[in-house]
Amino acid sequence: MTEPRMQENVALSVVGTPRWTPEPDPRGGPGDPATLLTIDKNGGVTAFSGKVEYGQGIRNGFAMEIADELDVPIDSVNIILGDTALVPHDRGTTGSASTRTVGIQLRRAAAIARGALIDLAATRLEVEAGSLATRDGQVMIADGESDAVSYANLLSGHTLSLAIPEVVETKRVEDFHLMGRPARRIDAVSRVTGSTKYAQDVVVPGMLYGKILRPPSYGAKLQQLDTARADRVAGVVSVVRDGDFVGVVAEREDIAEYAIEALRARWEEIQHAASDLNLAAVLKEKAGEFVTLRDEGSLDSAFDSAERAFENSYFVPYVSNAQMEPSASVARWDGDHLTIWCANRGPFTERDGLVEALGVDPEQVRVISMDVGGSFGTKTATVSHEAARLAKSVGAPVRVAYDREEEFAWSTVRPAATFDIKSGVAADGTIVAWDYTAIHAGENAFRGQRGADTPYDVGNVRIKVAAADSPLQAGSYRSLGGATNHFAREVHMDEIARGIGLDPLEFRLANLSHPRLRPALTAAAEAFGWESRASRPGIGYGVAVGYDAGSFTAQCVEVSVENQDVQVKRVVVGFDCGLVVNPDGARNQIEGSIIMGMGTALWEAVEFDGGRVLNGKLSRYHVPRIADTPEIEVVFTGDPETLSSGAGEPGIVPIAAAIANAVRDATGKAIDELPIVPQL
Amino acid sequence: MHLRVNGESHEVAVDAERMLLGVLRHELGLTGTKYGCGEGTCGACTVLIDGNPTQTCYTPVSAAVGREVTTIEGLADGDELHPVQEAFVEHTAFQCAYCTSGFIMSSAALLDRVSGPDDDQIRSALSGHICRCGAYVRILQAVRSAAGKTGGEGGAR
Ligand code: FES
Ligand code: FES
Repeated sequence: MTEPRMQENVALSVVGTPRWTPEPDPRGGPGDPATLLTIDKNGGVTAFSGKVEYGQGIRNGFAMEIADELDVPIDSVNIILGDTALVPHDRGTTGSASTRTVGIQLRRAAAIARGALIDLAATRLEVEAGSLATRDGQVMIADGESDAVSYANLLSGHTLSLAIPEVVETKRVEDFHLMGRPARRIDAVSRVTGSTKYAQDVVVPGMLYGKILRPPSYGAKLQQLDTARADRVAGVVSVVRDGDFVGVVAEREDIAEYAIEALRARWEEIQHAASDLNLAAVLKEKAGEFVTLRDEGSLDSAFDSAERAFENSYFVPYVSNAQMEPSASVARWDGDHLTIWCANRGPFTERDGLVEALGVDPEQVRVISMDVGGSFGTKTATVSHEAARLAKSVGAPVRVAYDREEEFAWSTVRPAATFDIKSGVAADGTIVAWDYTAIHAGENAFRGQRGADTPYDVGNVRIKVAAADSPLQAGSYRSLGGATNHFAREVHMDEIARGIGLDPLEFRLANLSHPRLRPALTAAAEAFGWESRASRPGIGYGVAVGYDAGSFTAQCVEVSVENQDVQVKRVVVGFDCGLVVNPDGARNQIEGSIIMGMGTALWEAVEFDGGRVLNGKLSRYHVPRIADTPEIEVVFTGDPETLSSGAGEPGIVPIAAAIANAVRDATGKAIDELPIVPQL
Repeated sequence: MHLRVNGESHEVAVDAERMLLGVLRHELGLTGTKYGCGEGTCGACTVLIDGNPTQTCYTPVSAAVGREVTTIEGLADGDELHPVQEAFVEHTAFQCAYCTSGFIMSSAALLDRVSGPDDDQIRSALSGHICRCGAYVRILQAVRSAAGKTGGEGGAR
């Protein structure tokens, strides 16, 4: 496996904080200064980041940014990700928003390195630095015929260590030769030949296979355990018991699975009243304190003066991330030092979790995040703790890999949520009052705040959000509360439009002056042909807007509905994420967000009763398949001079509402909750 | 037990009922074939057995004896990618790519069987696969384009 890189070859290194934002970032500091970028004696470039590749093409994005800024061929750039022994501690958040702050900092590091190389060349050639240009890993006189000098040549005999100053001039958009253009992913060949290594694929010498005994429901307590039959299974190395934690370690995975079945356990289950059927009421009952995100104007007098008022409640259930790669982890102890190979998106967060769970020091733990087979926010960290405990107990490296049922039952789900919205409009269709109350499952109120505010123009507004104790283990998901808050708001917008007899697009435009969201909406509507859409039986059209991770988007959809057969035919997206570094990569992410959001709109809900998940198999949990694929068109509306913002998550925020609005258009049936299909 | 995988012979000492997926991944180290569901619903574990796409998570290893197994590792001809792999690269028909081996194997089998398949044939051949990253738009484009290139010549290798 990856071992710490030899540093002897390094001729130039750039040190800086891993993240950078023009303004101080309210979401977290810049991280600890460390080496971000090196150039070795042969001109090879290496960059380091605590980010992880989970399908978003981050390695490719960073390589493009660096190659462009440093003027080197993209295949000379190597990106090291997610290994706590090698990469800077970004102390940052996960998600699209923090990725761009890393990308821009790597560009700044590359720009500094390029400046230093030009200075070296200026001295060598005895010319002004300003007269020099760079291309393809070489410095040359800008308009002369002079011989080019390679970076490797310039660096020979030097060892430079550079710090990133506060002000760095990076390239202007018109000088980009890679960014902003479609490109193949640099990792493409390994992805199509099966050679990319995921956590599921890690093998270390002497590795054994672990399997954990799962309780029948959340919170169940182990009463009795008989290990006699399991102990006798040939190939079982050990049955490990530590309180309620029980696992088998065996020479092979199938033996471990067999031995787990051979354990006789008696559990005492606790009674939970909650199920997917009474979830909305449970959340309301368990809501904690409300956080008021915005309170402006006077709602009372605005409602008094409003021509019409609307009031409704909405609900979204738990959904499962159901990423294709179930969680897996390999743990190896060397004395009291632990190495973990896993699929976590935040290697340092994973390390901190291990430190806390195992009572060791951070220096004793190295986490190596492999390429992740999909995540969308979740990957349970528990699997690493389990592998570490088993490995410690048997004194050999142990792999624990969840099967699909374990993944459904024991990793996290997207928080369910309820919403109450009251709105008032004037006679001309202007929104004058907006009173929004949301309750999101989960201990973390921050999650539910994302996307709760309204982007529409309204002077009298109150936005309140609370978290409620969650019967299931709620966790991260693509855009988290962003997607669910948007469902409630954008469906309510259609209710108002319908109530006052305005076209849903016209009504939105009448209340939307946002300088980035409005152009995204008009662009989507125009490309869709909203004005000229033809009314036909069984066909419906819907529109919704959204904002997330610093980006702005609007989506128009066409659906066909025949009983419970809903086909999303066409989705047209207006999307503003500022500078689009890799348009094809961004499109890929937006398409994926839409497909994923279609699942949450139409079919997906985790069914549970008390502490048991009832539909925890892919055969019982309907996710979109290839036959469900709509035609998707993306129109980018951002200004390339604006720093890039997220493209991986925002695409999901408006889609469920746009589909719900379209289904209502086709059927006349109000859609106040998700998923849609069981209601038809 | 005697297995032929990607043109090579292997002797493996395993139970006849053990699923082929575990044998490929853990005994032969061919980790390009993935586990996704274990119940035949996701397609991540698909390989070709005598050219037929087969879900190895519920195919016992005994069913592969005496047959030719092709996994993703054996699809390219040396450094030359199979036309379907080439098209997946061309169209970036993946995100995390955990599902990709399975999609490629079923697509290659389709193009071998049907020259110039239409969209319905492509969709139906790939209906047993899940791409949770939702790369379907590109997967369709890639298979269409590979079909265009191989069509008429008796399909893929
Ligand atoms: S793992 Fe075999 S079909 Fe899913
Ligand atoms: S690319 Fe991630 S599951 Fe298909």
